Order: sequence, then C-alpha cells, then structure tokens
Amino acid sequence: MKSLAHLREYGLPLAVFVGVIALWEIVVRVNGIPHYILPAPSRVMVTLIDNFGSLATSWWFTIKITFGALLLAAVGGVLLASAFALSRTVERALFPFAIVLQVTPIVAIAPLILIYINSTTAALLICAWIVAFFPILSNTVIGLRAADPNLHDLFRLYRATPWQRLRLLLVPTALPYFIAGLKISGGLSLIGAVVAEFTAGAAGRETGLASRILEASFRTEIPKMYAALVLVSLTGVAIFVVFNLLSRWLLGRWHAAEQPDLK
Amino acid sequence: MKPVRLLLALCLAGVCAASIAQSPPLQKVVFATNWKAQAAHGGFYQALVDGTYRSFGLDVTIVPGGPQVNNRPLLPAGRIDFLMTGNLLHSFDNVKNGVPTIAVAAIFQKDPQALIAHPGQGYERFEALKNAPVALIAKDGQFSWWQWLKVQHGFKDEQLKPYNYNLGPFLANNKAIQQGYSVAEPIYVEKQGGFKPVVHLLADHGFSTYSTLIEARVDMVRDKPELVQRFVDASILGWVNYMYGDRKAANALMRRENPEMTEEELEASVALIRAQGVVDSGEALERGIGAMSSARIRDFFDKMVQAGLYKPGEVDLSKVAATQFVNRRIGIDVKQKLAPK
Amino acid sequence: MQTLVLDAVDKRFATGVWALRAASLAIEAGEFVALLGPSGCGKSTALRLLAGLEAPTQGAVRVDRAATMSVVFQEPTLMPWSNVFDNVWLPLRIAGIARDTARERIAPLLEAVGLAGFEGAFPNELSGGMKMRTSIARALVTRPSVLLMDEPFAALDEITRYRLNDDLLAWWRAHRLTVLFVTHSVFEAAYLSQRVLVMGARPGRVAADLAIDAPYPRSAAWRTSVRYAQVARAVSEALEAASSGPT
Repeated sequence: MKSLAHLREYGLPLAVFVGVIALWEIVVRVNGIPHYILPAPSRVMVTLIDNFGSLATSWWFTIKITFGALLLAAVGGVLLASAFALSRTVERALFPFAIVLQVTPIVAIAPLILIYINSTTAALLICAWIVAFFPILSNTVIGLRAADPNLHDLFRLYRATPWQRLRLLLVPTALPYFIAGLKISGGLSLIGAVVAEFTAGAAGRETGLASRILEASFRTEIPKMYAALVLVSLTGVAIFVVFNLLSRWLLGRWHAAEQPDLK
Repeated sequence: MKPVRLLLALCLAGVCAASIAQSPPLQKVVFATNWKAQAAHGGFYQALVDGTYRSFGLDVTIVPGGPQVNNRPLLPAGRIDFLMTGNLLHSFDNVKNGVPTIAVAAIFQKDPQALIAHPGQGYERFEALKNAPVALIAKDGQFSWWQWLKVQHGFKDEQLKPYNYNLGPFLANNKAIQQGYSVAEPIYVEKQGGFKPVVHLLADHGFSTYSTLIEARVDMVRDKPELVQRFVDASILGWVNYMYGDRKAANALMRRENPEMTEEELEASVALIRAQGVVDSGEALERGIGAMSSARIRDFFDKMVQAGLYKPGEVDLSKVAATQFVNRRIGIDVKQKLAPK
Repeated sequence: MQTLVLDAVDKRFATGVWALRAASLAIEAGEFVALLGPSGCGKSTALRLLAGLEAPTQGAVRVDRAATMSVVFQEPTLMPWSNVFDNVWLPLRIAGIARDTARERIAPLLEAVGLAGFEGAFPNELSGGMKMRTSIARALVTRPSVLLMDEPFAALDEITRYRLNDDLLAWWRAHRLTVLFVTHSVFEAAYLSQRVLVMGARPGRVAADLAIDAPYPRSAAWRTSVRYAQVARAVSEALEAASSGPT
C-alpha cells in the first residue's frame, strides 16, 4: 500500500535520527558533560532559537553562495561539456585544466583568489564554483556521449539537423547523467562555500555560517558553534532532498534509477 | 681536614646522592602558545632550555600555535594544562560563557597588538586609519579587538579583509593597513618590503589589556595550586633570563621550532620588547614580571563595556584572574644581578 | 526496376576487417527478400550500406531515387524518455510536422500494429514485443516504400515472433513495401520471404539466391507443411555450403 511504503521511506530514517539525538542527550546528561565540551541537543536548540535572528542572516548568505555557485557550475559545466562532446581536440586540450581544478584544495586557493579579486562574495562564489564544477562537467560529458548509437543512426537517417539532434537526442540522453552530477555538486557546493569562507571570509554583512562558526569558536561559545553547524547540516539535507525530488520529477517516469523497489 | 668533618662531609654527600637518586619524577605539563615560536614567547623557551622548568620539577612541553591553529578549546577540554592568550577579552568571554578557565599571570604589561601602515600615505595619525580602504585583520583579531575598534574608533567591517599571515597584500597596496605585533611585524616588513612602517599601538589608544596571559583550568588552580605556582614562577624566571641574560640557547630552540625565524629577527624583536616596555614596565617593575591587578582588569572591562562589547555586570570579574600566583617579586633579584642598572 | 542494388561491393573497416568482398545483390520493387547468413557474415553491413549509413570501400550502392526508406534495427531503439506516441512521431517531428497534424497518421497506425491505448506508455512499461511494434510503427509512419529490417525479431520469444511475422507480412502486402529482411534463422527466412539470399562468411558475399515458391498469405498451415520443410532444408544446405566455402 502506498501509505505503508511512505511510512517505511520516511518513517525509518526519521526514527533512527530521533533515536540518535535522544541518545546524545542522555549521554550528556548522565555523564554531566560540560557544555563547552559537548553541548546537549536541548542546549543547542535553545541557543539556536535565541540567536536565530543573526544566524538566519548568515544562513541566507551561505544559501545564496551555495546555489549561486551551483547555478554557475551547472551552466559552465553544461557549456564546457557540450564543447568537449563536439570536439575531442578541445576536450584533450582543456581536460587537464579541469582536473587541476578538481584536485586543488580550496583551503589553499581561497586566500590566493582573494589577492586578485576585490569582492569577498565573488571570491567565495568562485571557490564554491571550483568544487562544484567538475562533477557536472565530467558527468555531462559522459551523458552527451551516452546516446544509443542506433539512435544516432536513426537521427542520421531522418536527416535531423544538429540542433534537432541536440534538442531531441543529446539533451534527453544526458539529462540523467547531468542530474547525477548535480546531486553530487549540490553537496560539494555547500562544503566549498563554507570552507572557502573559513579562510577567506570577511566581516560584516557579507558573512555566512562559516563566519558564525569561527566567531563562536573564538569566543568559546561552543553551543553556538553547534547551532550554526546544525543549520549547515539542514542545508545539506535540504539540497539532497530538493535534488532527489527534481530527479524524480524529471526522470521518474522512465529512468531505471528512479523506479520503485521491485519487491 | 679533621676526620670528623671529613666523615660529616662524606655522610652529607651520601645523603645528597641518595636523595638525588630518589628525587621525585618531573611532573609533565603541556603549555600551548598562540603562535609559532617567536621572541614574544622567548621567556618560556628560555625556561625550558636552561633547565628552569626542570629545577621546579616540571617536564614542560610547549605546543606552538599557528596560522590555522586554534589551541584555545584544548584547555577546558583538559588536553593541555596551560594556555597562552593574547588579551583579556578571551578571559571575559570564557567567564561569560561559563567556561571554567582563569588567568594566573600576565607576562606582557602592554599589549603589543598594533596596526601598521605604509609611511607617507597620511596614516601617521591614528585617526586616519579608520578610512583605510583595506584593513587586513586575522580571525582572532576580527572577533576580539576589531569589535572594539569599530565602536570606539569608527572602523568599519567594509574595510576588513582576511589577513592570512602573508605580508604580500599589505606590501603590494600602499593604502592598505594590517594588524601586527609592534615587536615583530615591523621587523619583517622592513626586511621584505624595505621600509619602516608606521606603527600604532592599540594600547596607546585605550586598549589597556594585559597580554600573553597564562591561563589554567579552574579545577587545577583549586586542586593543584602548587603546580600552578611552580609553572608561573619558573616562567617568570625564564622571562628574566631571556630578556637580561644569555638567550642564545632559547633562540636556537625557537629557530628549530620555527625554521622561518632568523637570529637577527629574534634579537631585533627582543630589543623592541625592552624598548617598548612590553614585559617589564608599570606594575611589573615593582612586583615582578607577570604582575596582575584586579583594579586594572576592572578598568579594562569598564572600557569594553563602554565600547559596547559587554553589558555591565555581564562578566563576574572575580572569576577572570587569580592574582595570588604573581605579584610576589619573583625574579627581581635575578634581574638585579643580570642587569644592575 | 531495381530498387536496391549492391554492385561488387567491398567494405573494409578501419580496424582492417573485410566485412564484404565482391558482394552483389539486386532487389526489385515490392519484393520481400531475406538476407540470411551466420553471425558476422556481413549481412548487417550490407543493410547499413543500403541504408546509407556506411559507404563502400569499392563498388557501388544504388538505390532507386524514388524510394523512401525506413530502417528497423534488432533493438527497438526507442527513446526511453518519450512515450509511445512521441517515439512514433519522431521522424515526422524532425521533418517539421506538428504533433496534432501527425496524430491523424499515428493513431490509426498504432491501432494497426496492435498498440491502441498505449499511446501514453513509456518504453520501460512495455514488453519486448510491444517495443518492437512501436519501432515498426515508427518505421511505417513515414509511409516508406522500402523497409530495411536487421534481425528485428531475434530478441523476442517464439510466440511473439510468430505473431509479428504474420503482422509483418500483412503490412507488407497492405502498404506494397519492398522489404529486405536480414536474419540468421533459416526457418524465419523460409516462412517470410519470396527470395532468400544466402551469404557466406568472412568476408561476406552473396553465395546463393533461392526462390521460395509458396503463395501468400502464408499462415501456420505453411509452417507445418511438407513443402516448407523441404524449402527450409534446401535453404539450410545452401547456408552450410556458403559457410564452408572459400574464406
């Protein structure tokens, strides 16, 4: 039954999650662990609520950077993937740069980028973009090449124009791969935004959750650190859920990955 | 020598030998600093290298800090025994947040925290600094004295750019200002940039905090006060010897710990420390290095309340510092011998 | 009037493999011809040459100017992201015919291939046989005069295959198509076609050309008749002879 399936799908992870939180609370209380070492979830919640005003502003900033970078990564990734799919020469020439981007640690790059770029927001966007870019590029390239060769033949027989081939064959074929890349990049973009801000973040209004975490750390406000981290986690979960829903909406009808369990 | 005296001497020697053979093992102590080894930490390394800590029964390990290192949570967590902090704001925050640590000595009577600028750019006056387009401030400062600068002296968040302990951005931009220790960064700037920067000490403009404080856990102060006392005393003596005695071995150790440091930089820094009266001035001259007074702590707190960093009464000042371990004129006699001026 | 001609065609791939050597065949308009041979004998290559998907290394490929061709591959080759209707619509869509206009052609065609009511189904919801029917509908929607089929029923179960065999013959007659039917099944070739071209293996060439003298419509009766068994045996022997011939 549909309701039973829903219960299993959402109920189980929720129950486990609640159980872990309860265990955390009990362990802290029973052992009398001080709040500056490991705050209890109840204390973290209270701190979160008390400080929600200022935390919310930072949260919004982090969300903006994350999704801004993700959007740029998606656009850039798709454009470059198309160029790669069209020309193996271009791919061979530029792919090494893409790999270099992927493996370079943001913590090392962020301060350097700041030297050249004046705006901190731009620098953070670039850093988050760098981490988010590669999975989308790599997956979309594979996707654009993944079309059934027989379908390619059919399109040739039908004398389809390159534009028709792109629109009717390549894009739909690449879509599942692109979305898979997007799911990976979503989480990475958030991490990139937070990590970049740790080393390159400024002060004042243009600050996100990373700055709040740092600030709480330096002012020994450990429960506040946890509160900010909770918001980061929530953002990560939200990204995951959003892209899963997106994937289901776009691919649900026909892609093997989105079909329900065959039990 | 008369036989009886000889016998007595032999017995004494025997007892001494026996007692040395059975002397209690040294107590292990971990002390974390707030930066890589530099002259501003010299006294501690001195006490380590010339055996002062040893003679006080302490086996001390110095854990340096660094650019991305934040040693501060290690103290309440019990991972370290003593912690070096840069100013009283850290202590105020700890007390405010119920973190059970307390200051037991203040090595620096003057906070060498400063803002430095290029000469000839109009920054000769402190008031001009708040209009600098770029102020390179690191995280530690951003969340402590920068807040005071904003309220008290009109600095703005828009100026702030993260300082990643690289002089490059400052040297490249004439209009930029950056943070530094008055006894350290000007030396590096002169070496790398070839010019003497303008230096504005925050202490000269109302930031009257102690600096390079030694912090300990409240429970250690309560349960092992003699251990705390020994560490404080030994550290004070280390500072006396470092500043006025033979510090070559201490410098060598610091250079091993921090290979980027040179002997000239260390010596230049010591000269500045002495000239600016960072360590041995004011109350320390009378009561020994490390001196702390509750009155001065209260005065500084009031200034910070005025600057809006804290609410009145928000911090129980009696919990900020334990002054019983200092103000005992430790090291004054040693100093007389080494620098009898 | 010859609709499809391979004239002493050689085909060598970049890998160095000679798929065809001096292969020749000629197919008249309206014929149902089977191209029979073992795996790897080049029959698919021959079909692809006739379809224009490959070019010969030597020799000529001649296709009647007036002929309109459709190809049916062994895999249904449907677009998994589109439903049955949109899959059948594809060739018309590429030709610029709007969906609503195309509907007039597609709807009756779907009924004719037995897919009435499945317009909105997606390929992952269809059985193998239904997918192949969709593929055939797509091939027929452009009203071709020539149908090239490359082992289209090989992947299906026997009952579905028999059904589709009969349906194919019905469509051939109804639309007056020219059909080139590539297969490796002696029995299928014998059941369906008027002529069986037997190919020899590596490199491929047409080794034998047998006429199947049996009237249409053909049905289960044909399949169980003695004449059919004789024909099948003759074809089988020709195939064996071609396969063991000079390589």
